[in-house]
Amino acid sequence: MANTGWDEFEIGAMLRTFEGEAGDIAGTLQEDRNYTQNSSFSASVADWRIEKPVFNKDFCIDCQFCWIYCPDMSIISRDKKMIGIDMDHCKGCGICVEVCPTNPKSLLMFPEKEEEEEVIAAWPAKEKKEK
Amino acid sequence: MSEMKKIKNLKEFSTSADRFEGANLLCPGCAHSIIVREVLNATNDDLVLAASTGCLEVCTAVYPYTSWDASWIHIGFENGSTAVAGAEAMYNALKTKGRLKQPDRNPKFVAFGGDGASYDIGFQWISGCMERGHNMMYVVLDNEVYANTGGQRSSSTPIGSSTTTAPAGKVSYGERKNKKDMVSIMASHQIPYSAQVAPNKWKDMVKKIQHGMAVEGPVFINAVSPCTTEWKFDPKDTMMITDLATDSLVFPLYEIIDNHELNITYRPKNVVPVEEYLAAQGRFKHLFKDQYKYLIKEWQDRVDEKWAYLQRREEARV
Repeated sequence: MANTGWDEFEIGAMLRTFEGEAGDIAGTLQEDRNYTQNSSFSASVADWRIEKPVFNKDFCIDCQFCWIYCPDMSIISRDKKMIGIDMDHCKGCGICVEVCPTNPKSLLMFPEKEEEEEVIAAWPAKEKKEK
Repeated sequence: MSEMKKIKNLKEFSTSADRFEGANLLCPGCAHSIIVREVLNATNDDLVLAASTGCLEVCTAVYPYTSWDASWIHIGFENGSTAVAGAEAMYNALKTKGRLKQPDRNPKFVAFGGDGASYDIGFQWISGCMERGHNMMYVVLDNEVYANTGGQRSSSTPIGSSTTTAPAGKVSYGERKNKKDMVSIMASHQIPYSAQVAPNKWKDMVKKIQHGMAVEGPVFINAVSPCTTEWKFDPKDTMMITDLATDSLVFPLYEIIDNHELNITYRPKNVVPVEEYLAAQGRFKHLFKDQYKYLIKEWQDRVDEKWAYLQRREEARV
Protein backbone atom coordinates (compact mmCIF):
# COMPACT_ATOMS: atom_id res chain seq x y z
CA MET A 1 0.00 0.00 0.00
CA ALA A 2 2.85 2.35 0.78
CA ASN A 3 3.91 2.16 -2.86
CA THR A 4 0.45 2.47 -4.37
CA GLY A 5 0.16 5.16 -7.01
CA TRP A 6 -2.65 7.70 -7.14
CA ASP A 7 -4.50 5.70 -9.82
CA GLU A 8 -4.42 2.47 -7.81
CA PHE A 9 -6.44 3.77 -4.85
CA GLU A 10 -9.53 2.01 -3.70
CA ILE A 11 -12.51 4.24 -4.52
CA GLY A 12 -13.12 6.70 -1.68
CA ALA A 13 -9.48 6.27 -0.62
CA MET A 14 -10.41 3.75 2.02
CA LEU A 15 -7.62 2.55 4.26
CA ARG A 16 -8.21 -0.86 5.79
CA THR A 17 -6.60 -1.39 9.16
CA PHE A 18 -7.09 -5.16 9.34
CA GLU A 19 -6.64 -8.11 7.01
CA GLY A 20 -9.89 -9.84 6.08
CA GLU A 21 -12.99 -9.56 8.25
CA ALA A 22 -12.61 -7.66 11.48
CA GLY A 23 -15.27 -8.53 14.03
CA ASP A 24 -14.86 -7.69 17.67
CA ILE A 25 -11.88 -5.31 17.74
CA ALA A 26 -12.67 -3.98 21.23
CA GLY A 27 -12.32 -7.53 22.54
CA THR A 28 -9.05 -8.30 20.74
CA LEU A 29 -5.69 -7.32 22.18
CA GLN A 30 -3.06 -5.69 19.98
CA GLU A 31 -0.90 -8.82 19.70
CA ASP A 32 -3.86 -10.86 18.40
CA ARG A 33 -4.92 -8.35 15.76
CA ASN A 34 -4.17 -8.86 12.12
CA TYR A 35 -2.92 -5.38 11.17
CA THR A 36 -2.27 -4.33 7.59
CA GLN A 37 0.52 -1.99 6.53
CA ASN A 38 -2.06 0.84 6.67
CA SER A 39 -2.35 0.89 10.41
CA SER A 40 0.00 3.34 12.04
CA PHE A 41 0.62 0.51 14.52
CA SER A 42 3.00 -0.93 11.92
CA ALA A 43 4.91 2.38 11.77
CA SER A 44 7.32 3.76 14.35
CA VAL A 45 8.03 7.14 15.92
CA ALA A 46 10.95 5.89 18.02
CA ASP A 47 13.28 8.38 16.31
CA TRP A 48 11.36 11.30 17.89
CA ARG A 49 12.78 10.44 21.29
CA ILE A 50 15.68 12.23 22.94
CA GLU A 51 15.05 10.63 26.31
CA LYS A 52 13.46 7.27 26.91
CA PRO A 53 11.47 6.03 29.89
CA VAL A 54 12.94 3.05 31.73
CA PHE A 55 10.64 0.79 33.71
CA ASN A 56 11.83 -0.74 36.99
CA LYS A 57 9.23 -3.29 37.98
CA ASP A 58 10.62 -3.72 41.53
CA PHE A 59 8.89 -0.55 42.67
CA CYS A 60 5.74 -0.74 40.51
CA ILE A 61 2.42 -1.02 42.34
CA ASP A 62 0.34 -1.48 39.16
CA CYS A 63 -1.75 1.62 39.77
CA GLN A 64 -2.05 2.06 35.96
CA PHE A 65 -1.74 5.85 36.09
CA CYS A 66 0.91 5.61 33.37
CA TRP A 67 -1.40 3.48 31.25
CA ILE A 68 -4.35 5.88 31.35
CA TYR A 69 -2.28 9.05 30.87
CA CYS A 70 0.07 7.77 28.14
CA PRO A 71 -0.82 9.72 24.99
CA ASP A 72 0.77 7.17 22.70
CA MET A 73 -0.68 3.86 23.88
CA SER A 74 2.89 2.84 24.75
CA ILE A 75 2.35 1.44 28.23
CA ILE A 76 1.60 -2.25 27.85
CA SER A 77 -0.77 -3.53 30.52
CA ARG A 78 -2.03 -7.08 30.51
CA ASP A 79 -4.21 -8.73 33.18
CA LYS A 80 -4.18 -5.54 35.29
CA LYS A 81 -0.36 -5.59 35.44
CA MET A 82 2.01 -3.14 33.81
CA ILE A 83 4.45 -5.28 31.87
CA GLY A 84 6.53 -2.90 29.81
CA ILE A 85 6.86 -0.04 27.36
CA ASP A 86 6.20 -0.15 23.64
CA MET A 87 9.38 1.53 22.38
CA ASP A 88 8.18 1.70 18.76
CA HIS A 89 5.41 4.15 19.61
CA CYS A 90 6.80 6.02 22.62
CA LYS A 91 7.65 9.65 21.80
CA GLY A 92 9.47 10.26 25.07
CA CYS A 93 7.15 12.96 26.43
CA GLY A 94 7.74 11.90 30.05
CA ILE A 95 4.11 12.06 31.28
CA CYS A 96 4.35 8.49 32.64
CA VAL A 97 7.28 9.51 34.86
CA GLU A 98 5.45 12.60 36.13
CA VAL A 99 2.30 10.69 37.11
CA CYS A 100 4.12 7.73 38.70
CA PRO A 101 3.18 7.85 42.41
CA THR A 102 5.76 5.44 43.90
CA ASN A 103 8.83 6.42 45.92
CA PRO A 104 11.32 6.06 44.29
CA LYS A 105 9.56 6.30 40.93
CA SER A 106 9.27 3.04 39.00
CA LEU A 107 9.61 4.94 35.71
CA LEU A 108 12.41 7.42 35.02
CA MET A 109 13.67 9.20 31.93
CA PHE A 110 17.19 8.52 30.69
CA PRO A 111 19.08 9.60 27.57
CA GLU A 112 18.39 7.31 24.64
CA LYS A 113 21.96 5.94 24.57
CA GLU A 114 21.98 4.58 28.15
CA GLU A 115 21.79 0.82 28.65
CA GLU A 116 18.66 -0.34 30.44
CA GLU A 117 20.41 -2.87 32.74
CA GLU A 118 22.95 -0.28 33.87
CA VAL A 119 20.41 2.39 34.84
CA ILE A 120 18.21 -0.15 36.65
CA ALA A 121 21.26 -1.29 38.66
CA ALA A 122 21.98 2.33 39.63
CA TRP A 123 18.32 3.22 40.40
CA PRO A 124 17.94 6.09 42.92
CA ALA A 125 17.08 5.14 46.50
CA LYS A 126 13.88 6.02 48.35
CA GLU A 127 13.60 9.72 49.09
CA LYS A 128 12.91 10.69 52.65
CA LYS A 129 9.92 12.89 53.21
CA GLU A 130 10.72 16.39 54.39
CA LYS A 131 9.00 17.28 57.60
CA MET B 1 -23.03 -5.90 22.60
CA SER B 2 -24.88 -2.82 23.72
CA GLU B 3 -24.54 -3.66 27.39
CA MET B 4 -22.61 -0.91 29.15
CA LYS B 5 -18.98 -1.69 29.85
CA LYS B 6 -18.37 -2.00 33.58
CA ILE B 7 -15.40 0.06 34.75
CA LYS B 8 -15.06 0.10 38.52
CA ASN B 9 -11.44 1.11 38.86
CA LEU B 10 -8.37 1.92 36.85
CA LYS B 11 -7.02 -1.64 36.97
CA GLU B 12 -10.18 -2.92 35.41
CA PHE B 13 -10.10 -0.11 32.85
CA SER B 14 -6.53 -1.05 31.90
CA THR B 15 -7.71 -4.38 30.46
CA SER B 16 -9.31 -2.45 27.57
CA ALA B 17 -7.87 -3.06 24.13
CA ASP B 18 -7.11 0.33 22.59
CA ARG B 19 -8.77 1.18 19.31
CA PHE B 20 -6.58 4.21 18.71
CA GLU B 21 -3.05 3.38 17.60
CA GLY B 22 0.36 4.78 18.35
CA ALA B 23 2.74 6.31 15.82
CA ASN B 24 0.19 9.00 15.07
CA LEU B 25 1.92 12.34 14.52
CA LEU B 26 0.48 14.30 17.46
CA CYS B 27 3.11 16.20 19.46
CA PRO B 28 4.73 14.35 22.37
CA GLY B 29 2.61 15.05 25.44
CA CYS B 30 -0.52 16.03 23.48
CA ALA B 31 -3.70 15.65 25.52
CA HIS B 32 -5.82 14.96 22.42
CA SER B 33 -4.95 11.29 22.30
CA ILE B 34 -5.46 10.87 26.06
CA ILE B 35 -9.01 12.17 25.64
CA VAL B 36 -9.65 10.06 22.53
CA ARG B 37 -8.44 6.92 24.32
CA GLU B 38 -10.66 7.56 27.32
CA VAL B 39 -13.67 8.11 25.06
CA LEU B 40 -13.06 5.03 22.89
CA ASN B 41 -12.21 2.77 25.82
CA ALA B 42 -15.38 3.74 27.66
CA THR B 43 -17.36 1.41 25.42
CA ASN B 44 -17.02 -2.00 23.77
CA ASP B 45 -19.59 -1.20 21.11
CA ASP B 46 -18.81 -0.64 17.47
CA LEU B 47 -18.00 2.95 16.67
CA VAL B 48 -18.59 5.22 13.72
CA LEU B 49 -16.25 8.18 14.09
CA ALA B 50 -15.40 11.34 12.25
CA ALA B 51 -12.99 14.16 12.94
CA SER B 52 -13.29 17.71 11.73
CA THR B 53 -10.05 19.15 10.39
CA GLY B 54 -7.63 19.98 13.14
CA CYS B 55 -4.62 18.47 14.84
CA LEU B 56 -6.41 15.22 15.53
CA GLU B 57 -7.48 14.67 11.94
CA VAL B 58 -4.27 15.57 10.18
CA CYS B 59 -2.07 13.70 12.65
CA THR B 60 -3.99 10.44 12.67
CA ALA B 61 -4.54 10.05 8.95
CA VAL B 62 -1.25 10.68 7.20
CA TYR B 63 -1.20 8.67 3.98
CA PRO B 64 -0.64 5.68 3.88
CA TYR B 65 -1.43 5.28 7.55
CA THR B 66 -4.50 5.53 9.74
CA SER B 67 -4.42 5.38 13.52
CA TRP B 68 -8.05 4.35 13.93
CA ASP B 69 -9.24 0.79 14.47
CA ALA B 70 -12.86 1.75 13.95
CA SER B 71 -14.84 3.17 11.03
CA TRP B 72 -13.52 6.69 10.74
CA ILE B 73 -14.44 9.40 8.26
CA HIS B 74 -11.94 12.02 7.12
CA ILE B 75 -13.96 15.14 6.39
CA GLY B 76 -13.78 18.93 6.06
CA PHE B 77 -13.17 21.59 8.68
CA GLU B 78 -16.81 22.35 9.41
CA ASN B 79 -18.73 19.16 8.88
CA GLY B 80 -17.40 16.43 11.18
CA SER B 81 -20.70 16.64 13.02
CA THR B 82 -22.88 16.40 9.91
CA ALA B 83 -20.82 13.50 8.49
CA VAL B 84 -21.60 11.47 11.59
CA ALA B 85 -25.21 12.68 11.66
CA GLY B 86 -25.57 11.54 8.04
CA ALA B 87 -24.10 8.15 8.83
CA GLU B 88 -26.52 7.84 11.74
CA ALA B 89 -29.48 8.80 9.56
CA MET B 90 -28.46 6.24 6.94
CA TYR B 91 -27.99 3.56 9.59
CA ASN B 92 -31.49 4.21 10.92
CA ALA B 93 -32.97 4.15 7.42
CA LEU B 94 -31.32 0.83 6.58
CA LYS B 95 -32.40 -0.59 9.92
CA THR B 96 -36.02 0.39 9.30
CA LYS B 97 -35.88 -1.21 5.86
CA GLY B 98 -34.35 -4.36 7.37
CA ARG B 99 -31.30 -4.19 5.13
CA LEU B 100 -28.61 -4.38 7.83
CA LYS B 101 -26.54 -7.57 7.94
CA GLN B 102 -26.09 -7.41 11.72
CA PRO B 103 -28.97 -5.29 13.04
CA ASP B 104 -28.28 -6.01 16.71
CA ARG B 105 -24.80 -4.45 16.91
CA ASN B 106 -25.89 -0.94 17.87
CA PRO B 107 -22.91 1.18 16.83
CA LYS B 108 -22.23 4.46 18.59
CA PHE B 109 -21.78 7.62 16.54
CA VAL B 110 -19.10 9.99 17.77
CA ALA B 111 -17.63 13.10 16.12
CA PHE B 112 -14.46 14.81 17.27
CA GLY B 113 -13.52 18.40 16.58
CA GLY B 114 -11.08 20.96 17.82
CA ASP B 115 -12.25 24.22 19.30
CA GLY B 116 -11.68 26.03 16.02
CA ALA B 117 -13.83 23.53 14.15
CA SER B 118 -16.53 23.60 16.84
CA TYR B 119 -16.67 27.07 18.34
CA ASP B 120 -16.11 28.95 15.07
CA ILE B 121 -16.11 27.19 11.73
CA GLY B 122 -18.44 24.25 12.33
CA PHE B 123 -20.73 26.04 14.75
CA GLN B 124 -23.89 26.11 12.67
CA TRP B 125 -23.39 22.53 11.53
CA ILE B 126 -23.17 21.32 15.13
CA SER B 127 -26.11 23.49 16.06
CA GLY B 128 -28.07 21.85 13.25
CA CYS B 129 -27.16 18.33 14.41
CA MET B 130 -28.18 19.13 17.97
CA GLU B 131 -31.44 20.67 16.84
CA ARG B 132 -32.36 17.76 14.54
CA GLY B 133 -31.89 15.33 17.40
CA HIS B 134 -29.53 12.77 15.88
CA ASN B 135 -28.46 10.01 18.22
CA MET B 136 -24.80 11.04 18.28
CA MET B 137 -22.09 12.48 20.47
CA TYR B 138 -19.93 15.47 19.66
CA VAL B 139 -16.63 15.78 21.53
CA VAL B 140 -14.70 19.05 21.44
CA LEU B 141 -10.97 18.81 22.10
CA ASP B 142 -10.71 22.32 23.48
CA ASN B 143 -7.15 23.62 23.34
CA GLU B 144 -8.29 27.23 23.07
CA VAL B 145 -6.36 28.03 19.89
CA TYR B 146 -5.99 26.98 16.24
CA ALA B 147 -2.98 24.85 17.11
CA ASN B 148 -2.77 23.02 13.79
CA THR B 149 -2.23 26.14 11.68
CA GLY B 150 0.22 27.88 14.00
CA GLY B 151 -1.70 29.30 16.94
CA GLN B 152 -4.31 31.78 15.72
CA ARG B 153 -6.97 32.93 18.18
CA SER B 154 -10.32 31.17 18.16
CA SER B 155 -13.49 32.16 19.97
CA SER B 156 -12.43 29.76 22.69
CA THR B 157 -9.21 31.65 23.45
CA PRO B 158 -9.42 33.22 26.92
CA ILE B 159 -8.57 36.83 27.82
CA GLY B 160 -4.89 37.65 28.06
CA SER B 161 -3.64 34.68 26.08
CA SER B 162 -0.93 35.56 23.56
CA THR B 163 -1.61 34.08 20.12
CA THR B 164 -0.12 34.71 16.68
CA THR B 165 -3.11 36.82 15.57
CA ALA B 166 -3.54 38.48 18.98
CA PRO B 167 0.06 38.82 20.17
CA ALA B 168 1.00 40.34 23.50
CA GLY B 169 3.41 43.27 23.47
CA LYS B 170 3.72 46.91 24.46
CA VAL B 171 0.25 47.98 23.39
CA SER B 172 -1.77 44.80 23.84
CA TYR B 173 -2.06 42.03 26.40
CA GLY B 174 -3.10 39.55 23.70
CA GLU B 175 -6.62 38.21 23.30
CA ARG B 176 -9.20 40.75 24.49
CA LYS B 177 -12.42 38.77 24.32
CA ASN B 178 -13.51 36.13 26.77
CA LYS B 179 -14.21 32.56 25.79
CA LYS B 180 -17.61 31.49 24.55
CA ASP B 181 -19.65 29.32 26.94
CA MET B 182 -20.23 26.50 24.48
CA VAL B 183 -21.63 23.96 26.97
CA SER B 184 -24.51 26.29 27.87
CA ILE B 185 -25.12 27.24 24.25
CA MET B 186 -25.43 23.58 23.32
CA ALA B 187 -27.57 22.80 26.37
CA SER B 188 -29.92 25.55 25.19
CA HIS B 189 -30.71 23.38 22.17
CA GLN B 190 -32.70 21.29 24.69
CA ILE B 191 -30.39 18.34 24.15
CA PRO B 192 -30.54 15.54 26.73
CA TYR B 193 -26.93 15.85 27.86
CA SER B 194 -24.04 18.25 27.67
CA ALA B 195 -20.97 18.19 29.89
CA GLN B 196 -17.49 19.51 30.45
CA VAL B 197 -14.75 16.92 31.08
CA ALA B 198 -11.00 16.81 31.69
CA PRO B 199 -8.62 13.94 30.90
CA ASN B 200 -7.06 13.91 34.39
CA LYS B 201 -10.41 13.04 35.99
CA TRP B 202 -10.72 9.82 33.99
CA LYS B 203 -13.48 8.30 36.11
CA ASP B 204 -15.68 11.37 35.84
CA MET B 205 -14.97 11.41 32.11
CA VAL B 206 -15.82 7.74 31.56
CA LYS B 207 -19.02 8.13 33.56
CA LYS B 208 -20.10 11.10 31.46
CA ILE B 209 -19.21 9.40 28.17
CA GLN B 210 -21.12 6.27 29.15
CA HIS B 211 -24.11 8.35 30.21
CA GLY B 212 -23.90 10.23 26.93
CA MET B 213 -23.79 7.03 24.90
CA ALA B 214 -26.72 5.55 26.80
CA VAL B 215 -29.15 8.43 26.30
CA GLU B 216 -31.18 8.80 23.12
CA GLY B 217 -30.44 12.01 21.28
CA PRO B 218 -27.56 14.37 20.69
CA VAL B 219 -24.86 14.75 23.32
CA PHE B 220 -22.26 17.49 23.57
CA ILE B 221 -18.97 17.05 25.44
CA ASN B 222 -16.38 19.78 25.93
CA ALA B 223 -12.99 18.35 26.91
CA VAL B 224 -10.10 20.55 28.01
CA SER B 225 -6.98 19.59 26.07
CA PRO B 226 -3.76 21.36 27.11
CA CYS B 227 -1.53 22.03 24.11
CA THR B 228 2.20 21.81 24.82
CA THR B 229 3.08 23.79 21.70
CA GLU B 230 0.68 26.73 21.96
CA TRP B 231 0.21 26.94 25.72
CA LYS B 232 4.01 26.74 25.93
CA PHE B 233 4.86 24.23 28.63
CA ASP B 234 7.01 21.09 28.80
CA PRO B 235 5.43 17.96 27.27
CA LYS B 236 5.84 16.12 30.56
CA ASP B 237 3.65 18.67 32.38
CA THR B 238 0.43 17.99 30.45
CA MET B 239 -1.31 16.29 33.38
CA MET B 240 0.01 18.87 35.86
CA ILE B 241 -1.52 21.68 33.77
CA THR B 242 -4.81 19.78 33.50
CA ASP B 243 -4.82 19.32 37.29
CA LEU B 244 -4.26 23.06 37.71
CA ALA B 245 -7.04 23.82 35.23
CA THR B 246 -9.60 21.72 37.09
CA ASP B 247 -8.42 22.56 40.63
CA SER B 248 -8.29 26.32 39.99
CA LEU B 249 -11.85 26.05 38.60
CA VAL B 250 -10.82 27.62 35.30
CA PHE B 251 -12.36 24.45 33.85
CA PRO B 252 -15.09 23.44 36.27
CA LEU B 253 -16.41 19.93 35.63
CA TYR B 254 -20.18 19.78 35.36
CA GLU B 255 -23.02 18.32 33.35
CA ILE B 256 -26.34 19.72 32.19
CA ILE B 257 -29.21 17.26 31.77
CA ASP B 258 -32.17 18.39 29.65
CA ASN B 259 -31.09 22.02 30.03
CA HIS B 260 -32.42 22.33 33.57
CA GLU B 261 -30.59 19.89 35.79
CA LEU B 262 -27.03 21.12 36.32
CA ASN B 263 -24.73 18.94 38.42
CA ILE B 264 -21.21 19.90 39.46
CA THR B 265 -19.31 16.61 39.29
CA TYR B 266 -15.98 17.63 40.76
CA ARG B 267 -15.35 19.91 43.73
CA PRO B 268 -11.63 20.35 44.42
CA LYS B 269 -10.63 19.88 48.05
CA ASN B 270 -8.06 22.65 47.83
CA VAL B 271 -8.91 25.31 45.30
CA VAL B 272 -5.73 26.57 43.64
CA PRO B 273 -5.42 30.31 42.87
CA VAL B 274 -5.83 31.07 39.16
CA GLU B 275 -2.44 32.78 39.30
CA GLU B 276 -0.74 29.37 39.57
CA TYR B 277 -2.56 28.12 36.48
CA LEU B 278 -1.54 31.22 34.53
CA ALA B 279 2.06 31.12 35.76
CA ALA B 280 2.56 27.55 34.54
CA GLN B 281 2.00 28.53 30.90
CA GLY B 282 4.15 30.55 28.52
CA ARG B 283 1.14 32.06 26.74
CA PHE B 284 0.28 34.07 29.89
CA LYS B 285 3.89 35.04 30.70
CA HIS B 286 3.32 38.77 29.96
CA LEU B 287 0.50 39.00 32.53
CA PHE B 288 3.15 38.96 35.26
CA LYS B 289 4.68 42.24 34.06
CA ASP B 290 3.66 45.23 36.22
CA GLN B 291 1.78 46.76 33.30
CA TYR B 292 -0.72 43.87 33.02
CA LYS B 293 -0.81 42.55 36.57
CA TYR B 294 -4.35 43.83 37.14
CA LEU B 295 -5.56 41.21 34.65
CA ILE B 296 -4.68 38.37 37.05
CA LYS B 297 -7.12 39.73 39.61
CA GLU B 298 -9.74 40.11 36.90
CA TRP B 299 -9.14 36.50 35.93
CA GLN B 300 -9.66 35.33 39.50
CA ASP B 301 -12.86 37.38 39.84
CA ARG B 302 -14.23 36.02 36.59
CA VAL B 303 -13.52 32.42 37.61
CA ASP B 304 -15.09 32.95 41.05
CA GLU B 305 -18.14 34.52 39.48
CA LYS B 306 -18.57 31.59 37.08
CA TRP B 307 -18.20 29.09 39.93
CA ALA B 308 -20.80 30.94 42.00
CA TYR B 309 -23.12 30.99 38.99
CA LEU B 310 -22.76 27.22 38.50
CA GLN B 311 -23.46 26.55 42.16
CA ARG B 312 -26.53 28.78 42.15
CA ARG B 313 -27.76 27.05 39.01
CA GLU B 314 -27.17 23.64 40.53
CA GLU B 315 -29.29 24.54 43.53
CA ALA B 316 -32.05 26.23 41.60
CA ARG B 317 -32.39 23.40 39.08
CA VAL B 318 -33.02 25.78 36.19
